Order: sequence, then structure tokens, then C-alpha cells
Amino acid sequence: MKPKLILGIVAIVGFTSLLMYNFGNSISTYTNFKKASNMESAHVVGTWEKSKDYGFSMKTKQFTFYMKDQDGNIRRVIYPKQKPNNFEQAKRLVVIGKMQNGVFYANDMLMKCPSKYNSVDTSQFKKNNATKS
Amino acid sequence: MIGFIGKLLIDVAFLCAILSAVGYFLYSQKDEERYFRISNWLFGIQGLLLLAAGGLLLYLVLTHQFNYYYVFEYTSRDLQFKYLISAFWGGQEGSFMLWMLLATVVSFGLMKWTRKPYRGPVLFFMALSQIFLFTMIAGIHLGDFTLGASPFRSLADAMPNAPFLQANPNFVPQDGKGLNDLLKSPWMVIHPPILFFGFSMMTVPYCFAMAALWKRKYNEWIDPVLPWTLGANIALLTAIFLGGYWAYVTLSFGGYWAWDPVENAAFVPWLLGTAGIHMMVVQRKKSAPSKASIFFAILAYIGIVYETFLTRSGILADSSVHSFVDLGLYGQLVVFMAVISIIGLGMFIYRYKDMPEQKDRLSLMSREFMTFSGAMVLFLIGLIIALGTSSPIIGRLFVDNPTPPEVSFYNSWTMPLAMIAALLTVLGQYIFWKRQDPESLARELTWPVAATCVISLATIMIGGIHNIYYMLYILTAWFALIGNGVIMVRLAMKNPKVIGGALTHVGFGILLLGILASSAYNSNLLDQATKSYNQAIDQGKVTDDQGFKKTQKVNFLELKLNQPKIINNKYKVTYEGYTLKNQARPGQQQYRIKFEPADGEGEQFVMNPQVYPMLSASTSQNIQWSVDPDVRSGLFSDIYMYVSGSSYVERKNNELKKQNKRAKTQPASATQADTSKTQKIKLNKGQTASVADFNIHFLDYSPVDSSNLQDSTIVAVRAKLEVTPRGSDTSTRIDPLFSVYNKDGENWSYAPPVQIPGHEGGSIQFSSVDPSSGQIELTIRGVDKKVKDQWVLLVAQEKPFISIVWLGTFILMAGFSVSIFRHWDRERKKS
Repeated sequence: MKPKLILGIVAIVGFTSLLMYNFGNSISTYTNFKKASNMESAHVVGTWEKSKDYGFSMKTKQFTFYMKDQDGNIRRVIYPKQKPNNFEQAKRLVVIGKMQNGVFYANDMLMKCPSKYNSVDTSQFKKNNATKS
Repeated sequence: MIGFIGKLLIDVAFLCAILSAVGYFLYSQKDEERYFRISNWLFGIQGLLLLAAGGLLLYLVLTHQFNYYYVFEYTSRDLQFKYLISAFWGGQEGSFMLWMLLATVVSFGLMKWTRKPYRGPVLFFMALSQIFLFTMIAGIHLGDFTLGASPFRSLADAMPNAPFLQANPNFVPQDGKGLNDLLKSPWMVIHPPILFFGFSMMTVPYCFAMAALWKRKYNEWIDPVLPWTLGANIALLTAIFLGGYWAYVTLSFGGYWAWDPVENAAFVPWLLGTAGIHMMVVQRKKSAPSKASIFFAILAYIGIVYETFLTRSGILADSSVHSFVDLGLYGQLVVFMAVISIIGLGMFIYRYKDMPEQKDRLSLMSREFMTFSGAMVLFLIGLIIALGTSSPIIGRLFVDNPTPPEVSFYNSWTMPLAMIAALLTVLGQYIFWKRQDPESLARELTWPVAATCVISLATIMIGGIHNIYYMLYILTAWFALIGNGVIMVRLAMKNPKVIGGALTHVGFGILLLGILASSAYNSNLLDQATKSYNQAIDQGKVTDDQGFKKTQKVNFLELKLNQPKIINNKYKVTYEGYTLKNQARPGQQQYRIKFEPADGEGEQFVMNPQVYPMLSASTSQNIQWSVDPDVRSGLFSDIYMYVSGSSYVERKNNELKKQNKRAKTQPASATQADTSKTQKIKLNKGQTASVADFNIHFLDYSPVDSSNLQDSTIVAVRAKLEVTPRGSDTSTRIDPLFSVYNKDGENWSYAPPVQIPGHEGGSIQFSSVDPSSGQIELTIRGVDKKVKDQWVLLVAQEKPFISIVWLGTFILMAGFSVSIFRHWDRERKKS
């Protein structure tokens, strides 16, 4: 029984550590444009910089806009898809991709919208909870 | 008033649930029938009150009482009846109520069919779970703390700080926020009830496992619990399927599965439940108790509560496309989860020594071992997916602000495990029905293995598969399909009732094949130029202005009106225009994309992707466009497409922009046309001219009713014009007037400009006519001089064998159903 038990424990420990190792590698942290420059796939959080030009170009088939990350760095973002439906409404953007020559090439973009699934304006809710607690 | 009654109903029902739980507890301990009877009554009353509260909520929704938060938040006046009904479970509070109502129905079943000694504890735990759900919707104020979010709270209750309510506390909005357009789908009407039915039924195995531990009767619970667990599994599977199908045909991410936390939330309990079923089945066959079946039964329900916590606590708000917002239920959900887990696992550990030991040693060739291995693989897959979904929590071990894992994390772990599972299904089934030694097993498997090899080889060659990993995967999938198929046929000839397991495993094999084909081999439909560009990107040959390598490919198909493109040497694809007629949503365009075979032989078809303004998110200043993809399903492949942009949408946006600008700068001159954009065109009768986005067709002259004209008019004529936005099938008639009248001995012309229909700021003036040739001259203002291209930008994909995914899913469902009937039949005969 003993060798079997040891084998089992080794298997479980091996599997778990491999799994956790891989899991740790496959997640990354939300970051800013400056730190993103030496990352392969960076998740940058920020807001759309409305003062600058944006739009989808039929010539290059790219959507370009400027984004201000949470530390105030503003960079141009190039996204190879159409402008997402709720882009202008988004309170917060997450772009996933990599920095190249001062331009962020996003392969994916997530929008944090005030009305996700038409739900509550979260800011109102936070206020509400804050006053109650 | 109704709100007060509703809250009262829920509170009293809550009380009944608590009392009934106490009653069931006493019944379980003292075994006196009266406790059971009273508790059943209390629980029944609880159900009735809850139903009444549900009816009230529905009444509020149907009568549009927007002073109630729930009604304001999830409905609007323009919603169709079926979506008003489904709004009942569109929000968090209502969906909890639905879950509880269905759990009550399940409990009635348990009261009727569960025998002693289990029925007391089983119903006690059902009531306990119900109590926890009540805390989510009770809305009871305890000092500063509010227990749950009541569906009957008013707007003022829900957001006391909203400015419009502070100005006027009795303010009632005219209309509600409405339902997200994407959710206006019949699939989404039936999806939640099925899902919550699955959740309620998945509570049953937990209750029975706890009853078994409580009463220390570790074997007999298997028979009654099996049909429930199987039922829960079918319900969850159906719900997952509906969700996937909805995502595929409604959303534009182009697939049926995206490892989204909300999808995982139903999938993990399903996997755990399925692991449980495996252990239960083998326990029943052997009629010796097993710890594993109790363990999995407990775990499946914990899985449901945990995933409920993840999706409803707001913790996933950043990582999921659709998780609920936090309603302040975080703490309660944690308590719910903790109590369920501590009681469940605590009891399991407490009774661990008491549970009988495995008597005979497990040999590798026993069905117990094989089935256990299968269940373990399912459990591991569930664990891995749960781990990935938990990244906002567990990821903190690694980084501060964790992102969700890459999709490859899920794929690279589940794929090898699925392959192992595929092998185990066959070995397990061969050993399950007949005692085998390695030799006899090898003999029996000779033919299935040979057939598998031949068919896999054929698949690999025909499919042009080069990836060795995929080859192995295909081998295991065909092995599962063929191996289980052989067993199934053999069983069916003896006793068709018992084929459930084999049929399910056949479905699993088919599903595996479908998943690989549809996810690894879908290709974008692109024209030759784009393809060459993408190839150059692959080879690193494309650089931007500054000499940096470009890495992003283009996956759009751009089509100009009536200019066909050849795609993949297979299709000739033409954009034939759009229509605004007979559309389900206001302002929706339906595009016509014609597919013809490139070589002229074979069938042609038209696809109709749509674009519509999203009402709930659009304002008069800004239209939010949303897309509705079109899918052409075929036996071998689907064509999936949506419109990513079009000249029509661009024109509408530009007009809106112009309008906004004008409204801001000089409202007075809003009607005046921009003089820099003036052009004159000449047309003969029957001729058509193209201007900017329009075609103007000169039909004929029309007579003029002279009574409206000045007395001194010498000549008056109208031109019958047909104005058509190019690409559209709708044209509008306008009849601009040209007249000449005499005043003070001089001839003056009177020709008022007519607004171009559907074109803000553009006008057509019938400025002159040549009497000899009959040619007319039109002066067009406020419209670009250049003739504009009409185009549509598509994302189109060919997805092979999605049909096989659906087929596999249906066969899985069928297999589980056959098993339900078998076990249910046996149970009914007993009682």
C-alpha cells in the first residue's frame, strides 16, 4: 500500500504544481502603457481620449483611437476590427495586445459599460451603499 | 401598496421556509409523522406565497409600473409580451425567485417520492437551500444592513442619491430602461427557466448525500437519487446548449463557446454532476456503498453555489462579457457558499471512518476502477475550469491585479483530459457489461481498434490535417464513437433500455469530433488580395511608414455594390443592396449578400445579415448600431457572417454628426443648404443620374394644378423624379416644380427646392427645362459632388461541422434521457 500512496501523492503534487504553474503563466496583470512595452500580451486599462481623432479607416481596415491609461500616459491604439458598438459609452477600456514603437497594437478590446445588460448605473449604487454602511 | 404586499408575501414565505426546515429537522431526529406533515404544509404554503409574489411582480411588469426599480430597470413599454414575461427572470432578483419556485416544484416531487429514512433530511436540506435563496431577495432592513435585494423595492429605495429622485421623490419615469436588444431572442426566453430547473435538481443529490451521511445509510440513496441527478444534467446540458446556440446566432464573436465565466458557471456543475453519476451507476451495479459518489454529489451543488457566487457577486465584472452587477449580495453569497461547503464536507469528513471500506482490492481491469478513473478525469476538467474562472480570486497569488487566463489555458488542459476520457469510455463500457481479463478485452477490441484506425486515417487524409496532436485527438474521438457504438448495438439487441450509457458516450465521441472541426478549422472568407496581404504579414514582409513590421492581419471582406468577388475559388459573392422594408426592429437594414458557385455549377443562395440601431443605448445624437449575424447551416459546414460596416451606416452617422454640429452652431440657418455643394445635372426622360449616394431617375413630366399658382404664370411643369439611395430597394417620388411667371413685364422663374427624402440638408431644384429637347436641369444642393461607392464590410467565416457539435449534444441528451427512463421506471415499480 505504501509505495502506491507515495506514488499517488507524487502524482497529485506534480499535477497540481504543473497546473498552478501554467495557470500563473497564463494570467497577467492589468498594467499601463509604459510597462507594456516589454510584454508580449499586455492588458492595459484606461479611458478613451476624446480630444484626439479616432475612427475606422476603410483603407487600412483598422480602428484607431487614443487611450489614456490609469497613470495618464496617452498612446495611439490600433485595433484591427471595426469600432465596437458601445465604444463611445464605455467608461473604461481594456486593450489586450502589445506595444510597438510607441503604438499599442490591440488584438482584443473589452469595454466596461455603465449599462451592462442594462443594469444599474454602478456609480449610483456605490454611493448608495456607501451612505448605508 | 403592491410593493408592500409583495414584500410581505416574501417575508411570510421566508418565515414558512424557516419553520418547515425546523419541522423537517425534528422529523429527521424524532421520526414523528406529524412533523413531516406540518412541514410539508408549511413548505407548500411557502410555495404558494412565493407564487403569489411572483404573480404580483409579473403584474407590475405587465402594467408598466416604473416606480418599481425592477420594472424600470428591466422592461420598457415597447417590449413584446413574451419579453415582458421573460423580464421576470431578466434581472437578478427575479431570477432568484424563479430558481426558488422551481426548487419548490422539485421539493414537491421529493415529498411525494422519497421514502424513509431519507425524506426528512432530504427535505430539510432542500428547505435550508431555499432559506439561503430567500435571504437574497428578502430586502429586510436590519439596522444599517439590508438582507438581500427585494424585487419589490421602489426606485427611491434603490437609488436614493439619484438626482431626479432627490428633486422629486415621487417621480415616476415615463418608460423603463428596457431589455438589451441582444437578449430579445426566443432562446433567451426559455434558457433561464431550464437553467434554474437544472440548478434546483442539482440540489437533490446534495440533499440525498447529506441524508445518507446523517442516517448512516450509505447505499440505498443511490436508486432514488439517480433519476434526479440525470434530470439535473439534462437540464444543465440543455441550458448550456441554448446559451451556446444563442451566442452563435446572435452575438458577433463567431462561436458557440468562449470560456466565459457565465458559460463555465453552468459547465462546471455539469461536469461534477456527471462525475457523480458515474460513481452512482457503478455503486448501484455493485450494490456496495462508495465514498466517491457522496463526495461528488456534495461537490456538484457546491459547484453551483460557487459559480452563482462568482457570477452574481460582481467579482467577475471585469472579466466576463455578461456577469451581473453587485447588488450588495457579496457577503450573503459568501455565507451561503461557506455554510453549504462546511456542512457538506464537514459531514463527509465526520462520517469518513464510519463509511464502509472498499472490500475487494481495486484491480486495473475492474469496472469500478475504470469508472472511477473516468469520474476523476471529469472532476479534473471541472477543477481546471473552476480554477480558470476563479482567476480574479486565485490569480492574486501570482499578481496584484489578475486578468482572466488566456483561452489557451483552458484548451491546453481540457484537450488531453478529454482524450483520456474518450479512451476510458470505451474500456469502461467493455468492462462494465462483462468481466474481462486483458486478453479477452484485447480480443474484443481488435475490430473496433482496426476500424478506428482506418476511419481516423481517412479523416486525417480527407481533412488535410497536419497537426500530430490533432491526429491523436481524432483517433481517440473515433475510438470513443466506434467502440461505444459497437457496445450500444450489442446491448440494443438484448435490451434497448440499458443503452443510455453507451449512447451518451457515442454522443461524447461525436461532440469531440465536432469541437475540433468547428474550432480549429474555421476560416475567414477573404478575397485574394486580402489573403496575399495576410500571407505577407505572416512572412513578416509588411512594414508601416516607419519601417516597423506589421503583425495584424485583415479579416474583412469588403464588397462594392453589384461588383462580385471570387472567394476561395469556391464562391462568387455579390453585395446586392439592402432593404429597410418589413424589418422586425425599427431602423434595421437587411443586407443581401448573394453567393454563387465560382464555376457556375451548383446552388446559389442569399445571406441576409442585419444591422440595427440599439434602442436601449441610442440617443437622438448618437446611434449605437448593433449587428445580427446570419448563419447558413449546412451538413458539412456553416457560413457565418455579420456586417461590420456599410456605406449606409456611415452616411447615417455623418448626417447625425452634421445635424449635431448645426444644432450647436447656428440653429437659424439649419434649413439652408451648403452653397459650396451645388451641382447641376441634366436629364432626359427615362434617364438616371447618380449623385453622391443617390440615383435620380427622371420618369416623366406631370401636369400642374394651376389653381395654386400665380395668375401671371406662363409656363408651369413638374418633373416626376424617383430618388433611390443606391443599394436600397426603396425609392421616393418627388415632383419639383418649374414655372415661369410674368411680373412687371419681366419673366421670372419660380422653382422651389424640394428636400431630398432621407437626406438631411440636401435639396433638389428643378431649375430649368429645354423646351426643344425636353431635357430638364436639376440643381442639387447640400450633397457631395462625388459619386460615392456603396459598400459593405463583412466578417464572414466558414465553419466546418458545427452541425456535428449539435448532433453530439443531442445524442448526449438522448443518452441521459434513456437512462432516466430506465432508473425512473425501476424506482416507480418499487414505490
